[in-house]
Amino acid sequence: MTAVILIVAAFLVLLPFVYESRNLFILLTQIFVFSIFAMSYDLLLGFTGIVSFGHAMFFGIGAYSIGIFMKRFEPTLGYFLLAVLMTIALTAIVSFVVGLLTLRLKSHFYAMLTLSLSGLFLVLAEKWRSMTYGNDGFTFRVPEQFIDRTHFYWLCLFLMVAVFLLLKRFTNSPLGRVMQAIRENEQRTESLGYHVLHYKITASVVSGVLAGIAGVLYAVSLRFVNTSVFTMDITLDALLMTIIGGVGTLVGAIIGAGIIEFAHDWLTALAKEHAIFERWIIFFGIIYILVVMFFPKGIVGTLSSLSWKKKKQHAVKKEEKMAG
Amino acid sequence: MDLIINLTINGLATGMLIFLLAAGLTLIFGLMDVLNFAHGGLFAWGAYSGLWIYSQTGSFLAGIIGAILTGFILGIITERWIIKPVYGNHVQQILITLGLMLVLSEMLKVIWGPNQIMASPPDYLKGSWELGSIIIIKYRAFIILVGLFIFAAVQFVLKRTKIGLVVRAGVMNKEMVQSLGINIQKVFMFVFMMGAGMAALGGVLLGPYSGVIHAGMGMEFAILAFIVVVIGGMGNFKGSVLAAILVGLSGSFMAYYVPDLSLAVNMLLMAIVLIIRPQGLFGAKG
Repeated sequence: MTAVILIVAAFLVLLPFVYESRNLFILLTQIFVFSIFAMSYDLLLGFTGIVSFGHAMFFGIGAYSIGIFMKRFEPTLGYFLLAVLMTIALTAIVSFVVGLLTLRLKSHFYAMLTLSLSGLFLVLAEKWRSMTYGNDGFTFRVPEQFIDRTHFYWLCLFLMVAVFLLLKRFTNSPLGRVMQAIRENEQRTESLGYHVLHYKITASVVSGVLAGIAGVLYAVSLRFVNTSVFTMDITLDALLMTIIGGVGTLVGAIIGAGIIEFAHDWLTALAKEHAIFERWIIFFGIIYILVVMFFPKGIVGTLSSLSWKKKKQHAVKKEEKMAG
Repeated sequence: MDLIINLTINGLATGMLIFLLAAGLTLIFGLMDVLNFAHGGLFAWGAYSGLWIYSQTGSFLAGIIGAILTGFILGIITERWIIKPVYGNHVQQILITLGLMLVLSEMLKVIWGPNQIMASPPDYLKGSWELGSIIIIKYRAFIILVGLFIFAAVQFVLKRTKIGLVVRAGVMNKEMVQSLGINIQKVFMFVFMMGAGMAALGGVLLGPYSGVIHAGMGMEFAILAFIVVVIGGMGNFKGSVLAAILVGLSGSFMAYYVPDLSLAVNMLLMAIVLIIRPQGLFGAKG
C-alpha cells in the first residue's frame, strides 16, 4: 500500500516535467485542494462521527480572507501569511463556538447549526457589498510566488501530502484514538473517564482550520472569489468525496476528490451533448444514496474489507493445512 | 399603527408557512428520532406540483389537493425505501436524507427547468379588505386561516383519536408501544406521510404568497424550520407552532426595519436557546 502511494506521489511530482497541459494541471491542483478539504471533513465524519452540513463556511472564510487581503492590501507574501493567520483565527473561533454550543447535544444539532450558520455566512457575503462586492465577487492579484501554475501545483501537492501525513499521525495519536472511540461508542468512552466534549471540540476546530486553508488555496488557484464558496454545493462536494471514497480512511477522501472532480469535468463536457448532463449532480446524489445505504464504508473501506476477508480465509486454510 | 398590523399579518402568514414545514419535522423527530433533512425538498415539490396542477386545471383548490397528494406519495416512498433501511443509525440517517434533498431539488430542475416560475393567487383570493385605514391582503389572511385549521386538526387527531394516542405514546416510549402489540412501523409511516403532506401544503401556499417559486426555496425554508424546531423543542408540536409564529414575526419586523439582519436575529435566537435551554423554550418534553 505504501509503495503504491509513493509511486503515485513520485509520478505526480514528475508529471510537470514530461507533460504540458494547462487544463490538466488546473484540474489536478483543484483535486489537491479539494482533497485537503475532504480530509478535513473526514476527520469529523469518519474519525469522530460528527456530521456537519456547513463545512462550506470554513472553506468560504478562508477564500474570502485571502481575497479581501489581496484586494485591499498589496499582493505580497507577507499579506498572504497574514491572511492565512486570519483564516486560522476565524475558523478556529467559529468552529470552537459551534462545537461548544451543539456538541454536548445529539448529533442532529451540530448538523443543523452548521447548516444554518453557513446559510448566514452566505447572506453576509451577499449583503456586505463594501467588503465582498456582493454576489458577483471579485478578482484579485496573487503574490508573485504563486503566479506560476506549476509551482502552485507543487505547493498544493506538497500541502496535500503534508496534511495527509499530519492527519494520519493525528488520528493515530492517543487523542485520535479517543476520537475513534467516541465514534464507536460515545457513552462507553465517557464512562471510561474521558471528557468527550473536549475531544469533539478539538476535532471540530482542527477540521475547521484545515478546511479554511483549503479555501485559501482554492481562492488563490482561481484568483477569484464569489459567494459560491459558501453555498451548499461546496459542503456537498466534501460529503460526496468522503462518502464515495470511504469514510475514516483519509486515502478515501483523496480518491473521492479525484473521482468527483474528474467526473465533474467530464460531465460538464458532456452537457453540450445532452441537457440532462447539466444536472450532473443528480447522478451523484443517487450514487451517494446508494453508497450510504449499501456500502457505508465507501470504495476504500469496501475494498480493504474484501482483501482482509481474503487474507483471513487464506490464513485459515494455511492453519488447516498445518493441522492436517 | 396600520404598519404594525400589516407587519404582524405578514409575520403571522410567514409563521404559518414555516409552521406547516416544522410541524412535520418535529413530529417525525419526536416519534422516530429521524431528523429529515429532505423536508425542504418535499416542501418545494409541493409548490411545483401544486402550481403545475393549478396552471393546468385553473383551479387553485385542485392544486392544493394535488400538492398534498404529492406530499403523501413522496412521504411514503421516502419512508419505505430511503429511511427505513437505515433506522437506528443516526449518522447514516442524517447523511441519506441530505442526499435525498439533493436528488429531490435537482429533479425539480430536470422536470420544470432551472428558472423561477411565476405564481399568482386565484381571483377570489386577490385584492384586499379595507377596514378603516387598515388594509388586509386576502391571501395572507387565507394562509393564516389554513395554518390555524391545520393546527387545530392535528391537535384534534393527537388528542382525541386512537392513532393520536398511539403517536403520543410512541413519542414517550416506542418500545413499550410496540410491546403492547401495536405495529409501530405503520404509525411511523402514517406520521411521515402526514408530515410530508403538511410540508407540501406549505409549499403550494407559499407560491402565490411570494410570487415566484424556485428550486432553492426548499433549503431556505428548511433552515427556518430547523431554527423553529430547535426553539420550540425537538419533538414538541405545540412548541413548534409558537416558535414558528415567533420566527415569522421577528422575520417580518426585522425585514422592515433592519432587512440585512433578519436571518441573523433568528440565528441568534437559536444560539441563545441552545445555550440556555437545549430542550426548547416551550415546556419540557411531550
